[in-house]
Amino acid sequence: MRVGIEVGGTFTDLVAIDRGRVTVAKVPSTPARPDEGALSSLAAADIRLDAIEDLVHGSTVATNAILERKGAKVAFFVTAGFRDLLLLQRHDRKRIYDLFYQKPEPVVGRGDTFEIRERIGADGGIITPLDIEAAKQVVGSALAGGAYDAVAICFLNSYANPDHEERIAGLIRERHPDVFVTYSAEVTREFREYERATTTALSAYVQPVIDSYISRLEAELGSRGFKRNFSIMQSNGGRLPTDGVRRSAITCLYSGPAAGVMGAVRQAGISGFDDIITLDMGGTSTDVCLVRGGKPDLSTETEINGLPVRTPVIDIATIGAGGGSIIWVDDGGMLRVGPESTGADPGPACYGRGGTLPAVTDAHLLRGTLKAEAFVGGRMSLDHGKSRSALTPLAERFGRSLEEMADAALRVADANIVRAIQLVSTERGCDPRDYVLVPFGGAGPLHAARVAEELEIGTVVVPPNAGVLSAFGLLAADFLRYDSYTRHLIVEGDVADEVREIFAAMKGRAVEAFAELGLTDALAFTFTLEMRFVGQAFEIPVTLDETALKDLGVETLLELFVAAHHQMFAFGDAGRQRVEIVSFRLGVSAPPGPVPTLAEGHGMELFTTEGEIFDRGERTGCIVMSRSACEPESEIAGPALVADETSTIYVPGGWTGGPDEHDNLVIRRIG
Amino acid sequence: MNLDPIDQAVISQGLVASAREMGVKLIRSAYSTILREASDGSAALLDRHGNVVAQAELIPMQLGPLGATFRPCAETVPPDELEEGDFYINNSPFEGGQHLPDVFIFSPIFFDRTLVGFSASVAHHLDLGGGAPGMNPDATDVHQEGLILPPSRYNMERDWNGGPFERLIAANIRVPELTIGDFNAQFAANAIGGERVKQLCARYGAGTIMSVMDSHLTYSERRMRAAIAEIPDGVYHGEDAVDDDGINSKPLPIKAAVTVDGDDVAVDFAGTADQVLLNLNCPFASTVSAALAAVKAVASSPDIPFNQGLAKPITVTAPYGSLLNPKPPAPVRARMIPAFRAFDAVVKALAKAVPDKVIATGFDTTHSICMSRLVDGNYSIYLEIYGGGYGAGPGSDGSDGIDGPLSNCSNIPVESLDQQYDFFRVTEYALRPDSGGRGKFRGGSGLRRRFEILADDVTLGHYSDRYRIAPDGAFGGEPGDLTRTRIIRETGGEIPVASKTSLKLNRGDILVTETSGGGGYGDPAERPAERLRQDFESGLVTPPAAHAAE
Repeated sequence: MRVGIEVGGTFTDLVAIDRGRVTVAKVPSTPARPDEGALSSLAAADIRLDAIEDLVHGSTVATNAILERKGAKVAFFVTAGFRDLLLLQRHDRKRIYDLFYQKPEPVVGRGDTFEIRERIGADGGIITPLDIEAAKQVVGSALAGGAYDAVAICFLNSYANPDHEERIAGLIRERHPDVFVTYSAEVTREFREYERATTTALSAYVQPVIDSYISRLEAELGSRGFKRNFSIMQSNGGRLPTDGVRRSAITCLYSGPAAGVMGAVRQAGISGFDDIITLDMGGTSTDVCLVRGGKPDLSTETEINGLPVRTPVIDIATIGAGGGSIIWVDDGGMLRVGPESTGADPGPACYGRGGTLPAVTDAHLLRGTLKAEAFVGGRMSLDHGKSRSALTPLAERFGRSLEEMADAALRVADANIVRAIQLVSTERGCDPRDYVLVPFGGAGPLHAARVAEELEIGTVVVPPNAGVLSAFGLLAADFLRYDSYTRHLIVEGDVADEVREIFAAMKGRAVEAFAELGLTDALAFTFTLEMRFVGQAFEIPVTLDETALKDLGVETLLELFVAAHHQMFAFGDAGRQRVEIVSFRLGVSAPPGPVPTLAEGHGMELFTTEGEIFDRGERTGCIVMSRSACEPESEIAGPALVADETSTIYVPGGWTGGPDEHDNLVIRRIG
Repeated sequence: MNLDPIDQAVISQGLVASAREMGVKLIRSAYSTILREASDGSAALLDRHGNVVAQAELIPMQLGPLGATFRPCAETVPPDELEEGDFYINNSPFEGGQHLPDVFIFSPIFFDRTLVGFSASVAHHLDLGGGAPGMNPDATDVHQEGLILPPSRYNMERDWNGGPFERLIAANIRVPELTIGDFNAQFAANAIGGERVKQLCARYGAGTIMSVMDSHLTYSERRMRAAIAEIPDGVYHGEDAVDDDGINSKPLPIKAAVTVDGDDVAVDFAGTADQVLLNLNCPFASTVSAALAAVKAVASSPDIPFNQGLAKPITVTAPYGSLLNPKPPAPVRARMIPAFRAFDAVVKALAKAVPDKVIATGFDTTHSICMSRLVDGNYSIYLEIYGGGYGAGPGSDGSDGIDGPLSNCSNIPVESLDQQYDFFRVTEYALRPDSGGRGKFRGGSGLRRRFEILADDVTLGHYSDRYRIAPDGAFGGEPGDLTRTRIIRETGGEIPVASKTSLKLNRGDILVTETSGGGGYGDPAERPAERLRQDFESGLVTPPAAHAAE
C-alpha cells in the first residue's frame, strides 16, 4: 500500500492506494503537533502500518517554524567587515510611501553573528587567506557556552570557491559534533551575498526542527509497525528520503502547494493534458502555477516572511483569495475582495460561528452556486440568513439586490485570480489560451470556468477528489534534487565542450549523492543553463535534455537563448550583443515506481435535482447533482452544479462536459 | 460613458498589474548596476492626455511629476500627430525634467489607430557625458553636467537600432554598451505596457479602457481628499536646511508653509534660500514631486494608488530663482538633497497638525559615491547611493540602513561589485552603532562603508549632506549623528572629505564613509526597558556605563 499524508494548517489529508483501491481521509490538524494529525489520519482511514510500503509526508513544519519564529538558535559566521549582512538587506523598501516601514526581521540576531578574517575574490582566488588558528578562537568562544543548536556560514564570493566555508564547517563538525552546520555553497551557489546568506541562515534555522520532527515521527510510526520507505515532500515538486531532507531542510518550505501541483500534473497527465495551469483555491488563499509539457516552471526567487529564499522551487503565485476572503468597500468607494480573510474561525458569516463579515462563501450561497445542503458532502450546515445580513449593507450602498451584489463580488474575486494567473503566464511570455485550467482545493472548481472565460481558456479539467489532491501529489512525486554551480562562460568558440564537461562532473556528483540515499534505478536528468546578454544581471533559464546536450553547439545555444529572451522581454539580438552562461543547474530524479491513479471515492449519496442560480446578472434554473451521479461518458450541459465530498464544480451556461475514463471531469466552452 | 463600478474594480486592476510588470521588466533586462541592481528607474501608464494612471512602485521621486515631464513633449509635437513606433524623450531640467541622468521616454499606445494612452519609463543612466564620468560635482551650469535631450519626438525604426539618434547619444557618453542597453530596457518596458493595454482594449473595448483610466484618477483623488479632510484645517510651518552650497559654510534654509483647507492642501516654499552656483538646485518638477510624496506619505494609507488624481488636491509653489525653482542654466545634478529637505520641511509642518502620523527626521539624503577610472580608452564607472537611518515614529523605531523616503535604490551586492570593478574593493559594510537619535523610539542607524583603493588615478565624485546639520528628533527625541567621510592615505595621514567634492584616489588609499542615523521620537527616558536591553544586546547602542569608561 502507498500512502500520502499532507498536514495543512486546518486539515490533514490522507490518500491511500492499495492495488487500485483508493481510500481518502480528512481530519482536523493539531497546529502545535503536526505529527498528531498524521497519526490520526492513519487511524481514521483504518490503515495497518505494517502494510505500508511507501509513505510520503508533507507538512508545514518548516514553514511554521519561520512564520512563528520557533526555529533553532543559530550562530552565524561571516567574512570580517560584513557582520550586518542580514540586517542591511538590500537597503530598499517594499512599500515606498510607508513612513513607518520596518524591514523583515532576520532569523539570526546581530549579537549572534561572528566575523572570520578571510576574503575570496569574484574569480575564486584567495585575497585574504583563512587564518585557521584565529578562526578556531572565534568559533571556540562563540560556541563554548553551548547556546547554539545550529551554525550557518556565509563568506563573500564562496559561490566561486567554497574552500573557506568548507574548512570552517569541517572545523565545527569536528569540534562540536552535536551542532548542525550549514554553509552557503551547499545550499545555493549563486552570487548576491544577502540572498545567499539569508537562504543559508533560514536553512540552519529550520534544520534542527525538521530533524527532530522526522525522528519523532519515525519513532512513532516504527513503534506501530511501519518499517518501509519514508520520504518527505519538497517545494521543488519532488520528494527525498528522510535522510536527504535532514541535510537540506530548506527545500521543505511550502511543500503543500507543490504537492498539489504535482497531483494535478499527474492526474491531468493521464488524460493527456500536459500544458496546464493549476488553480488551488482554499479558505484563505489561491495558488496558481504554470506547467509546460508536464513540467512545472521553477523559480529561484521566492521569499518567506519577506526573507528571500534562493533554492529552486515550483514557481507558484499566491494571492489572498479564498472562500473566507472578505468582501468590503474601501474609502474611495471601490468594491474589494480580500486579501483579508475571515480565516477558519469565525469563518464566513454562513458558518454561524459568530462571523458577521461577508466572505466569498457567503456570496456563493446567496447567488446559489453553493447549496447549503451539499456543502462538503452535506457534513456542514450553512446559515443562509447570516449571509444575507452580512452582505445587506454593501447591497444597499451599491443600490443592488443581494443576488446582484453577491454576483458582483464574485466577479471581483475572479478578477483577482485572473491577475495571479497572468503573473505566471503572460508575464513569463506564455499565452494562457494554449493551456487547460486544472482547479482543485475546496473552492477552485467553483471559480474555474469563469476564470477560464476571462483568460479565453477553453477547457477545464477537474480531478476526482479535488479537495485532497495535494495528498495524492505526494504519491505522484519523483525523488528529486537540484544542484547548481556558478561559472561565467561567454557563448563562443568551443564553449559547448566545456558545458558538457561541467555537466558531466555535476552528474557524477549527483549520482553519487542519490546512491547514498539508496536511489540508483531509472535516474533521469535535466540540464539547465542560466544565461543572459553580457552586462545584464538577471538570467533566463535554457533547459536541455541529454540528447540536446550531446549535439549542442554555439549556434543552437544562441538560438535557444535569444528565443527565451524574446519570449520574456520581446527584444534582444545576439548579432549585436554577446551572450554568456552564468550558472549551471542539474536536476536528478528517480521515479517512485508505478504511480496509481486517483479515482473518485463513492461514499456520497447519488442525487440529481434542480435549483436556481443568479450569475452575470441573470437568474436561471440549473441542474444540481452529485459527482457520483455523473454517468461515464454522459454530457452535462451548464448551468450545472456538481458536488463531491470535498468541493463543488460550477459548470456555467455555455459550458458542457462530463467525466472521462480517468474520472477527470472535463468541461469545455461551447463555440 | 457611464461606467459600472464593478467593471471599474475589475479592469483598473489590469492597468495596475500592467504598470507593475513594466517595472519588473525594466529592471530585469537592464545592463548597468545602477539600474539592474540598485533599481534606479520607474515605469507607469498614462492616459491619452498624459496623466499618470498607474505606476510601478519603484522610485517616488521619479514618479510624482511624470505628467509635468510629458506636457512639454506634447507641446513640441501634439499627440494626434504621433505614429506607430514614435516616442517622446525628455531629460531637460527646465522643461519638465529632473536631472539629466533621469531620461524619460513615453511611447504612444494605439488601438485600432486610436491613441488610448502612453507607456512611460524613466531610468537613471550611469553616464550621459558632461564634465566628469558619472557625475561632475564642479559643474557651474547644466551644460557641464551632460547631454540635454530636450522634449522631442523620435521614431524607433528610423532613429534607433543603429539609427542617427542612437548613434548621436552613443557618441556623447562614456559607457555606451551599458547605457544603450539600459535605453533598450526602457523601450522594452514601454512595449510590454503598450501590449498589455492593447490586450485590455481588445477584451473590453478601447472606450471602456479610457473611461476606466478616467475613473481611476477620480478614485485616487476621492481617497486623497478624504484623507486630507481628516487633517485639522490651519496653516502649519516647517523648516530644515541644506548644510551648505559646497563653496561657503552657510546653511541654505528651506521653509514650507502648509495650508490645509478642507480637502485641499497648498504647500508654499516662500522664504527658501536663493539658487546656488553648484549643483544643489532643485528643478520645480522635483520640488512638486517631493511635496506630493510628503503629503501622501503623512496623510494617506499606502494603499491609495499614486496617480495624477491624487495630486489634484495639492498645489505647490516656490519662488522663481530659489533653490526649489531655479532659473536656467543652473546645475541640478544633486537636486535630491534640497528635494529631501523640502520633504522634511513639509513633514515637520504636518507634525504640528497630526503628530501621530509623522516620523522624526531621517538621514533623508542622497549620499552618492561615484568612482571612475579610464583604462586603455575605456571608462569604468561605479555609482551608488547610500541611505542611512529612518526617523523614528510614534510606535516604532526607525529602520536601520535604508534608502530615504523619496528614493528607493537597492544597494549593489558586494559580490556584484567584485565581479564588475577591479580598482576598488569593499572591505566593510556595516550599521553604525550609536548613530540613531535616542528617544522613546530610536532613530534608525546609519551605514558605514570602507573601500580599499586598488589602482592609481581613481576619480572620486561625492555629494551628500547632513555633515553639519543633523536630522532632528521629534517630540523630545534626540537628533541622529552627523555624516562623515575620510580618506586614510597610503602615504600616511587622514583627510576629511567634504560633503560636495571631487578628488583623486590612489592605490592603497582607504575611503571610509559613514551616514547619519535618524532622529528619535519622544523622550528617551520613556524608552521601555525591554527595547533598551535589545539595543545593548545587538550592539547598536552602547550602554551608558561603557561610554563613561571610554
